[in-house]
Amino acid sequence: MIDKLAAKQADAKLQCEINGSPVTLETPPTRKLLQILRDDLGLTGTKRSCEIGRCGACMVLIDGKPVNSCLTMAYQCTGKSITTIEGLAPEGGLHPVQQCFLEEGGYQCGYCTPGMIVSVTSLLERSPKPSMEEIEEALSGNLCRCTGYGGILRSISRAIERGGMAHEG
Amino acid sequence: MALNRETSGNRWRIRPDGPGKVTGGLAYLTDLSAPNMLHGLVLRSPHAHARIAEVRTEEALALPGVHAVLTHADVPGLNRFGIAHPDHPVFCEERVRFVGDAVAAVAADSAELAMEALARIEVDYEYLPVVSDPELAMREDAPQLHERGNIQHRNDYVRGDVEAAFAASAHIVEDTYETPRQMHTYMETEGGLFVPEADGRLTVYSATQHGLMDRMQLARILARPEADIRIVSSPIGGSFGGKDELNVQPYGALLALACGRPVKLHNNRFESVRAGLKRHPMRITMKTGVDAGGKLLAHRVRIVSDAGPYSTLSAEVLNFAVEHTLGAYRYEAVEVRSFCVFTNNGMSGEFRGFGGNQALFALEGQLDRLADKLGIDPWELRRRNLRQRGDPGPFEQPIAQTDGARQVWEALPASRLWLERAEAAAAAEAAPAAPTASAAPAAPLGMTPDADLRSASSGTAEAATLQLPWLKIGYGASFVMHGAGLGVGIPDPAGGRLTLAPDGKIEAAFGYEEFGQGLIASLEQMLIEKFGFAGSDLRLVVGDTDAVPDSGSSTASRATSMMWQALERMREPFAHSLLQVASRVLVLPKERLRIGEGGVCDAASGERLLAYRELAQSAAEPIACETSFSYPASPVERVGAHYLYTYCSVGVKVEVNTLTGRVRVLDQFHAVAAGPVVNPQGFLGQIEGGASMALGFTLTEDAVMNSGMYLTRNLDSYLVPTIAEQRGRVEVLPIEELPDGDAHGPRGIGEVGSVGLAPAIAQAVFNAVGKRVSKLPIDPAELQEVPDIVKEGSCPV
Amino acid sequence: MAANLEEFLLSPAVWQPQSSGAAVRLKHALGPLGVYTAGSTLLRTQWEAGGGKLPTHLIDLTAIPGLDRIAVQNGELIIGATARLNDCSSHPVVMERAPLLADAIRQIAGWSVRNQATLGGNAASRVGDAVPALLALDACLVWHDGEKQYTEHIAEWLSVQNWPGMLEWVETRDTIGLRLLTSIRIPLPDEYTTKQTRRWFAYHKAGRREAFMPSLVTAAVAAEVGEDGAFADIRITAGGGRTVPLRLTEAERLLRGRRPEAAALRQVHEAVREQYVPEPDPFATDDYRKLTLANLIAAELWKRK
Repeated sequence: MIDKLAAKQADAKLQCEINGSPVTLETPPTRKLLQILRDDLGLTGTKRSCEIGRCGACMVLIDGKPVNSCLTMAYQCTGKSITTIEGLAPEGGLHPVQQCFLEEGGYQCGYCTPGMIVSVTSLLERSPKPSMEEIEEALSGNLCRCTGYGGILRSISRAIERGGMAHEG
Repeated sequence: MALNRETSGNRWRIRPDGPGKVTGGLAYLTDLSAPNMLHGLVLRSPHAHARIAEVRTEEALALPGVHAVLTHADVPGLNRFGIAHPDHPVFCEERVRFVGDAVAAVAADSAELAMEALARIEVDYEYLPVVSDPELAMREDAPQLHERGNIQHRNDYVRGDVEAAFAASAHIVEDTYETPRQMHTYMETEGGLFVPEADGRLTVYSATQHGLMDRMQLARILARPEADIRIVSSPIGGSFGGKDELNVQPYGALLALACGRPVKLHNNRFESVRAGLKRHPMRITMKTGVDAGGKLLAHRVRIVSDAGPYSTLSAEVLNFAVEHTLGAYRYEAVEVRSFCVFTNNGMSGEFRGFGGNQALFALEGQLDRLADKLGIDPWELRRRNLRQRGDPGPFEQPIAQTDGARQVWEALPASRLWLERAEAAAAAEAAPAAPTASAAPAAPLGMTPDADLRSASSGTAEAATLQLPWLKIGYGASFVMHGAGLGVGIPDPAGGRLTLAPDGKIEAAFGYEEFGQGLIASLEQMLIEKFGFAGSDLRLVVGDTDAVPDSGSSTASRATSMMWQALERMREPFAHSLLQVASRVLVLPKERLRIGEGGVCDAASGERLLAYRELAQSAAEPIACETSFSYPASPVERVGAHYLYTYCSVGVKVEVNTLTGRVRVLDQFHAVAAGPVVNPQGFLGQIEGGASMALGFTLTEDAVMNSGMYLTRNLDSYLVPTIAEQRGRVEVLPIEELPDGDAHGPRGIGEVGSVGLAPAIAQAVFNAVGKRVSKLPIDPAELQEVPDIVKEGSCPV
Repeated sequence: MAANLEEFLLSPAVWQPQSSGAAVRLKHALGPLGVYTAGSTLLRTQWEAGGGKLPTHLIDLTAIPGLDRIAVQNGELIIGATARLNDCSSHPVVMERAPLLADAIRQIAGWSVRNQATLGGNAASRVGDAVPALLALDACLVWHDGEKQYTEHIAEWLSVQNWPGMLEWVETRDTIGLRLLTSIRIPLPDEYTTKQTRRWFAYHKAGRREAFMPSLVTAAVAAEVGEDGAFADIRITAGGGRTVPLRLTEAERLLRGRRPEAAALRQVHEAVREQYVPEPDPFATDDYRKLTLANLIAAELWKRK
């Protein structure tokens, strides 16, 4: 009966691009992207925290847009280009936002930091000189329990000051 | 001088663990995996209080891919844990006492199979009445949760005749203060990897704040010698006291040993909320009397603290709270009666501030209410009752004497925030009816990179306030005296080791853990500044019981202080040992040499003469130095009395939106007298971060329970501050002076930022809208009003 | 191999119909075992809370080509049900011609969730925070019942009692079936502003935190003010938490033809508190929410006079 409806079923094979490299993976279509990244591909930079999209520790970029990988399933990644924290910087280097976080001390325990940096990087690409309101809008889904956001705001300010997302070196 | 990157100069360094954190390259203990690894899960009680009639595990064991299903029968040693009083069952035997109580655990090939296995474990429960109100739990006719009854601990402190002192009082205030069940909400939940090694030992990769304590507890549970167990406990994605006690470790260890394979556990947030510790909710009634001149005469305190069903460190938290309900003030007579009570609510335990947060909310609230009755400035009332240098501590015990109290008291009125407040008050007096021009901030903007961002936002708020009549601005302050160290009666060891390793690295080993507080960065900073090493010369070893000496726990704002002490003690002997060998190798007198970057240098020219690697190779035996001592304690018998204190003054500016009753914090000032700043970036971060936790404690956080069941099950309903809550400025002023001859070094600052903001906000709210709040988090319904614009007889502007 | 055989067998099938009609017919065939999913953000949250158990079949609506289109046609703004929330709120036509909807959307969840969540998903729950704005904008919902598409005014849909939840069952005389929300149509006035009238919109969401929180109270106002400063027309809607959004008709009646003067504001304030009956929330009392709503509306009117 279902066959007669000629409905397509999502593949048990995920084909996408992760950090610039093509990836093919046998996986149930509803497997969480967060699990695929951490458990299947060993990319543990993306973190597990609330798993209901409230905290941002699992943030990745899909086709350049920040998305909670805990809310994303494999079938939603077919053909997409995914960037994790590991893929943000050029080989052996640091993304300018990462450099600012280092210098200003925009982290303490560091567990929220990968997700935070992914979100900040995306924000600055969309809006190189964001207002405080824009920063709040972009980052209200990235919780930090350690810093009180002070070091994070200093890092963002430094990145705004330096301008441009061009990679250094 | 306000603490920031500019004012810190080259003392502001990049943390050694920074690159791994910003690239995602750092592996936390819950990121680890091993070949042949199994997944572990714990079956927890769905009921707050029930008898266990039977547990059947056959169905679960029969599932292919399930390798172990364990219950209490499988615990070889003590089926209990608890740092101070081990009364928490690893696996419940005949009773479950809260919704996080463990009944069984499984290990399976995958997380999904482990879940399926849990679902197949059958447990027959018989409901028991739920004890959820600590006051009711204290009654004799309440269901008893333990053979010893429902009172976990009592602590009374009486000095003088409090009734007579009340009789002599010109003004008396009494109120009951309630504080929330706050959750640590570390971003990394509990978990770890448990590996049975080929040589029969067990390696535990799991977060804790005291590796040696975990080792002892696990040895007791597993009935194995401690030498068989290795605890690797760093780095950690946040703890704030919540990971000091055991959590997943007993299950991981038992499963790993039962299966003979590595087992991984990693709590999801739902499980962490359910099973994890929370701050003790407290109900504190205070009655305080002053004479006509504002001198404190009588102070009566009654504390009821909700422990949940097992002890952990509840007694210790209560003791700390008792001392801090007295705090920095001098009284004629005091009477404190306190109770820590078992209930079937969630487990309460160690949490940054350790009872000081609750105590100070009440104590400072009393001072503010008294000031109002007396008609004097609240800060002036503090001055009239503040301890003087030379005075004993809150329990009349000897304490290390500093001018910290006076210094932070003076710092507040001199702050930009308080000067703005004075200007605003003066302007309002001068022209009460007309909207005033916004008071310009006294300090230059742009001192820190984010100042423009945050003050622009506050500026918008300022402008908005002047037009919108329902937004009310208020200012408030609080005074903090917070004890560090574990206090009298609890073993408080400290120590460390320096070694010149064979590969030429200067290895510093301490038995502490890095959970974000900047311990490793501070250690590096101190080694560089005390000895003259380069950062690249160093190998910093923490969080591995096989590799570190006993330094005591990473708690109670003690670790950085004790590292400083240890390095002070080792400085001369270690330098001496290095230079002595160098002197022999170089055939130069020791006086011509000094420790430098990369190696031993010429004392005069600074030229490097012998690299550390070569020095190591030349040494006949390894050059090492170790020290072991205790955290300074007051020479009294009163359990919990402290000796070293940190003083703070906190000023805050808030905006109350009377349409919704919601409170926003616009501006904060923290003066912190804690001796020398060891690590400026770390110091600033700890105060800002602590203040953010206090913000949540005051405005948004409560792990709400109903009859022993959590209503707030995850971060969609348990609300911690987002960046939008923190748009206001935060200024931190460290006061570093210590009296001559003070040898105790830097005081602890890990907790103090979290302790004083709540009462300052409460006072600011009173200043804004004339209403007193005694319960946290502040209920907006208490501050909400029908706006003037719709009141009868109001004039439209 | 990313997962073992059991997981493949236990995990849901994901169907990707290529048209709305095919999706509905698939849902007919699967019955309760099949669940529509678009952005899946709400559903994933619910599944995690329920212990991670997923339904047997997912029907992926984002696979339907064109269902995410945002366009203007015949004086109407048409937003496809699978249009992502951020795409809606940043769309130039939405920002210019339906700013009320853009404001409402921007207060839903957080940025990254809005990259994934869809307007249809938010609306279909009936209590999504975008719904009060849609109601105030006089929106119509376009449904597909498996055979044909048809339109229903949002107020009619909201007024149905005993609403069964996420599954949208429609009883007809002959069959019990399900229908799918395919798009939302918002009428755009001929002239955004004319010399005689001025339009303004306002949206408020109040919760227990400054950002990214469930709503306790939502309010949307769409007003047309004449040259004389009196309201030519006004629509005030409210929602919050599990409350089905409604038009505050009493308050609207009190304002039509009047200026927002003190007496009017007083009456409106009282009428709002009277008419708004929120669905109980474990974290705030009804009285608090009623007063919050009345205050927010009165304050908004006061600001605009």
